[in-house]
Parts: sequence; C-alpha cells; structure tokens
Amino acid sequence: MTSLGGSSSSSTEYTVRVPKNNSKKYSIMAFNSGDKVNCSTWTQARMERDMSNRRMYGGEETEEGAAGSEFGKKQREEARRKKFGIVTREFKVEDQPWILKINGKAGKRFKGQKKGGVTENASYYIFTQCPDGAFEAFPVNGWYNFVPQAKHRTLTAEEAEEEWGRRNKVVNHFSIMLQRRLREQERGPDDEDEEGEKGGKKKKKKKGARGGDLRIHDLEDDLELSSDESDSSREEGDNKPKKKESVAKGKGKKKKKKRGSDSEANEDSDDGDYEGLEVDYMSDESSSEEEAGEEKAKSNKEDGPKGIDEASDTEDESEEEKQNEEEGKEEEEEEEGKKTPVQMEKKKKRDSSGESDTSEDSDIDGEAASALFMVKKRTPPKRGGGRGSGGSSRTGSRPGTPSIDSASTSNTLRAAASKLEQGKRQVLGGSSDSPAAKRLKMEPGSTATTTQSPAPSGKSTPQPPSGKSTPSSSDVQLTEEAVRRYLIRKPMTTKDLLKKFQTKRTGLSSEQTVNVLAQILKRLNPERKNVNDKMHFYLTE
Amino acid sequence: MSEKSEVDLTGAKKNTGVWLVKVPKYLAQQWSKASGKGEVGKLKIGKKPGKTDVSFTLNEDLTCLSALGEKTELVQAPQEHSMLMLSVGGQTLAVFTETTADEISLEGMVVQRAECRPAVNESYVKLKKLQMEVSTKPKRLTEQIARPVTNNFKPVSNHVANVEYEKKKRTEGRMVRADRQQVMDMLFSAFEKHQYYNIKHLVEVTKQPVTYLKEILREIGLYNAKGTHKSTWELKPEYRHYHGEEAN
Repeated sequence: MTSLGGSSSSSTEYTVRVPKNNSKKYSIMAFNSGDKVNCSTWTQARMERDMSNRRMYGGEETEEGAAGSEFGKKQREEARRKKFGIVTREFKVEDQPWILKINGKAGKRFKGQKKGGVTENASYYIFTQCPDGAFEAFPVNGWYNFVPQAKHRTLTAEEAEEEWGRRNKVVNHFSIMLQRRLREQERGPDDEDEEGEKGGKKKKKKKGARGGDLRIHDLEDDLELSSDESDSSREEGDNKPKKKESVAKGKGKKKKKKRGSDSEANEDSDDGDYEGLEVDYMSDESSSEEEAGEEKAKSNKEDGPKGIDEASDTEDESEEEKQNEEEGKEEEEEEEGKKTPVQMEKKKKRDSSGESDTSEDSDIDGEAASALFMVKKRTPPKRGGGRGSGGSSRTGSRPGTPSIDSASTSNTLRAAASKLEQGKRQVLGGSSDSPAAKRLKMEPGSTATTTQSPAPSGKSTPQPPSGKSTPSSSDVQLTEEAVRRYLIRKPMTTKDLLKKFQTKRTGLSSEQTVNVLAQILKRLNPERKNVNDKMHFYLTE
Repeated sequence: MSEKSEVDLTGAKKNTGVWLVKVPKYLAQQWSKASGKGEVGKLKIGKKPGKTDVSFTLNEDLTCLSALGEKTELVQAPQEHSMLMLSVGGQTLAVFTETTADEISLEGMVVQRAECRPAVNESYVKLKKLQMEVSTKPKRLTEQIARPVTNNFKPVSNHVANVEYEKKKRTEGRMVRADRQQVMDMLFSAFEKHQYYNIKHLVEVTKQPVTYLKEILREIGLYNAKGTHKSTWELKPEYRHYHGEEAN
C-alpha cells in the first residue's frame, strides 16, 4: 500500500486482488430496510433450500407404479409432452429459494427468492479489505431477496375475495380471522355448529382466546355457552339491525338473508340447518308474520293435492321452521314479560337441549333468537298485549300463525301453545278452539299424510306454492304404517328413516326410536339393495 | 433434501463491512483471467475535503482483450475507471457464502455500494462499438439449401422400408411356442419389473405367438380394459407380491 503524500487531497492506493481458487460461492442476502434486520443480533441462524417446488418424478415409480411397459413409458410420456408443447423446467437446486430461520423455532423466518438477471449484463463483486490493506474481490454468484414470512394466519385468495364482498356489511373485523381459524378447526372434528356462535362470542368478549381453547363437547356447549351466546348474538343483533332489516326487506328470500346477516357469527354449515328458518322475524311487522302465517296455512291446505312425496320432504323443513318459530315465539313472549334475553335464551337452551340431542337444533334456536332480539327491540309496540307466557314451556305453536289481530293472537297462541305442548307429549286429537289450532289438529293425527281436517276456523288461507308447504304436523308417529309408506316410496337407509322420525316430533328418545324402528323393520322385512355402498331398504307394494 | 445448515455468524458478529461493487462485464472477464496471486489493479481512494474520490486502475497486462468475435485487433480495455459511490439505503445487504460442502457462513454486511465506470476514452468507445456489432448480429441465419424439397415421388416397385421388413420377417421366422412353464417363468420375471404390460410388449419379450400367450395370460393374469392402465395385462392378485402393494 503506497500513500502519496504531498497533495492537498490525500489519497491512498490499495491493490485489488481477485483470488483464483474459490471454494466459496458468494451470494447477497438482501433485506428490506423496513424490516429492520440487524444481523449482529442473531444468536443462531439456520438456512436451507426450499425444496417445495420439486416435483418428485421418480417418486411414484415403485413396483406398483413402474407400471408402464418397459418399452419406453418414459419416452412416450416425453413425446406426449413435446407434442402438446408442455415444457417442464428442470428443477435446479441453485435457483431454489432459501428458508432462513433466526433464533430457532420461535424466531423470525425469512424466505429468500433468487433475483434473476443479476449476472446478465454486469457482475457484482464483493470487496473485502484484507489485513494487509489490499482488497480482495469475489464475484457474486447470486442475489437473494429475503422477505419475512408471516407467522400469523392469512386469508386465502378465495376467502379474501369473500370478505371483500362483505366489507360494507362487516363491522367487526377482528372476528374475520377467528372465523377462519374456527372454520379450519371445525373441518377436522366436523362440528359446525359451534363455530359461528363461538366465533362471534369470543371475539366480542375480546377474550383473545383462540376458539379452539374453549371447544367443548356438543351438549355441554348448549348449556354452558348459552349465556355467552345470547350476549353475543344480542350484540351482533345490535350491530346490524339496520342492515338486517333493510336487507331483509329488500329481498324476498328471507332465508338467505338470515344466513347472510348471521354469517358473521355463523360459518358454513349444512344447508339443512337453515332450511326451515323462518326469517319473518327479521322484518318489521306482523304483516310479514301474517304472510308467513298465511303461507303456512296455505301449505296446509294444499296438502290434499300434493302427494305423499312432498309431504315427507316438507315435513322435515316444516318441523324445523316450526321449532324456530316456537322458540322465537316463546322468546318474544318472554321478552315482553321483561325477562332478560339471557335468561330466556338459557331457558330455551335448556329446553332445547333437554328435548333434543342435536346441537343443530339449538343452533337454529340461537339464530332465531338473535333475529328475534333484533326484531324485539324494534317492534315492541307491534307486539302488544302482554304475552308473557310465563312458562318456559316449549310452545309447539307456530308464532307466525295467521292472526291479524295481535290481541287475539296472544290468546289463541297461548292456547295453541299449551295445546301443542300436550299434543306433542301424547297422541291427541286436536282441539279446535282457535285458528291456530287448525294446525294442532293436523299434528296429532297426522303421519305426514295429507288428510287434513279443514280449518275449523273456516279461514281459508293461501298456501305458498313452494315445495316447502307443509302438511303441518309437528307430531309424527313412528308407526309401521309410516315406515312402510316411506319404504314403498323410495329406498332408504336406516339413517334416512331415523331422520324422518325425529325425536322431537315423535316424542320418543333416540334410543326408543331406534328400538321401535328396528322392530318395525323386522316386522316389515323389507328388501335390501346396495346403493353407493350403503344398504337401502325398500318395499314393493 | 439437504439438512438445515447452521449458519456461521462470525462475520455478522464482527460486523465486517464489505463493499458491493458493480463491475462491467468486460472488466469482469479480464479479472477472471488474472494470473498468479490474482492482482488485477489498483484502487485509489482520495479523500478530498468535500468528497471521496475513488478510482480503479486496471493492470497493464490485463488490458488486452481477447476473443471478441472475429475482430480482436487492438482493442484494449480502458485502464482508468472511476468508482461511483452509492448508498446502501433502502436495503440491508448481507453477504453469505456457501462452500461445496453446503456450509453456509455469513461474511459480513455491505457498508458501501459502488459502480465501476470506465473513463470514456477512445479505447472504450472502440470496445463498445465492437460489442454492439457482436450483439446485433442475428442469432438465426438464412442459408440456401443445396437440394430443394420435392414432393414428387418416383414410383417404386417396393419401398425400402417394406423390403427391409420382409427380409427381417423371413430371417426371423415365425415365433415358436415354447414350453408352457418356461413361458410362465418369463412372464413372471417380466412382471417383476413392471406391473402392467401391453400384449404387444409381452409378445416382444417372450417371443411367443399371440394366441398362445393370451392363453397363458388368461390363466395367470388379468386384463385391464379400463382405468389408468388402458388395455394392459397384469398378474392376478394371488400371484403378485409387490413391495408397494404389501405396504398398503
């Protein structure tokens, strides 16, 4: 190193060397300055190539897979690919990205992607100063841009689009990720019901706890989380009453609306969950109720012409609808009685859990409840007439029964409620006190047949043309006759049959149902057929 | 799949600073030709009161450029270069090295970036001109072919390919039925190599007439008419014992 003195500017001269044999390959690790990476603070670092892009060609060629003829399966494949112009890029290890992990598992992670075109037109050299003062220049082999990898969950493209579509409606953004997390968890254990409820509720409470932490068994859920649920659903209800209304009003598809608005809290679930949901509560007025009631009545009426086919189908739906309405009705009444929603929910929950084993039902209850709460708040005047039923009895009546006059409604409904309660427990002949009782009538006697007694009130109410018209009964008897009818109509699996005779409707416990059904099947001795790997029973008349 | 390499962080800890210098291609070429210890030139750092003035002087012996296409002549690489200093600003650059044994070590951080710019003089301009000429030459050439393509074919009593084929047939003769057991053994060994075979390929392997082969195959094998392995034969399940299968 020679230094030239004597000039006003002092300049020092250094020799530059380019070492020849380099066993080391130099590369650049580039971080964004915004990431504030300080290499000197790293205690430990691990780096490896990211091999995820490697397609295992040879991997599948086991004895099994080495299936092609020895005469050039590979060549044939290659020829095929060439013909179609498919060019598969060779997997070069040097071009693969790096995965850099700092400070072990808990530390930061970076992904380093190779930057192309670095060495094309110019070369980069690293000049390091040696102890002897000379510079040594090493050529740079590759440039890798390292970006930190997010450890937190992110939405996939589809989910992001979905959320984007809902951005105007979603107020609580925190729950979005929670939903997604829960969704994933749910997918595993296959437990959809808890999702939405939990999701909404947890986040609302700002517990910050992961949904998974509080996952509990089905039944317990219904009981324990009821209070939470009601709180959250109420809050949620508060959040979007307006939105719900406006939307509800706008669309004729009430069911869909219900789902949409509640989707904040609820996640993907079986379609069946929402099937019977009557969303009339969402809209303002009793008029809608009336409508709904009318629809119901209509459906009842049209039972005659409709075949047994529809009858059985609609039964399920109607039953669910009814349930919801029941619940809703009960709550309405209670709310009027100034009971706290919490208690009401609890009661309802207990009832529901007592009555059914399926959390599915309670789920629907919850939704109905939340919808109700909303409606409640906005339409107390309309409801009028203290309807505090006082009882935590599960009303079997359809609150949406055709009653124009609210005052009379209460009477009839209460009457209907109690009646249905009885009717549910035993097989009764219906009483025909009220218009609502028309429904009652059908219940006890019906077995999904369409021989309905005409409305005692003489009101002929129009029925909805939808295929969801119900023959109305909420009471289905598990009789041999019923089973026979089903099996004649179409082959069914035992599962299907059980679905038809839901415990709520028959009043039997699930065990009993199973036993009785087994006996009936023994008696009937249906023929068996295997469809889709499942054993179906059927009868030929 | 390489195991994760522990990165040697000594360089980072020491906070060694390095320079990242962008160097023109021709210069890099010259540098790679360096002999002996590898000395390529001199770096002059002048610390003027206002700014730092850095320049690089290429060694005399490395100025002769070679092989730039046909016109090597007396093109010389310029000797004087100025180094333009840049800031490391928006990026944090670190240098890591990889040895052939897959050992990764962090050499240091980049503290200064620089660009090596040649002083624009005649020799440089000439060099550039040459480079341009080379690069503008089209990669594809049109050349005239000696014998043009014709689609007129003269009539031939028997095509060449046909003649050869017939000759082959005559010499090889028909396939003779070998002993049943032998054929079966051949088949078993063939199926040990691959699971699925086309009948044609089996014929080729066993050199047996098709009908005879089919007979035997019907005894010990199955025919897959559908599925991924289109129209292939495979051994019956009781006869086969593949590793992969057993694992399943």
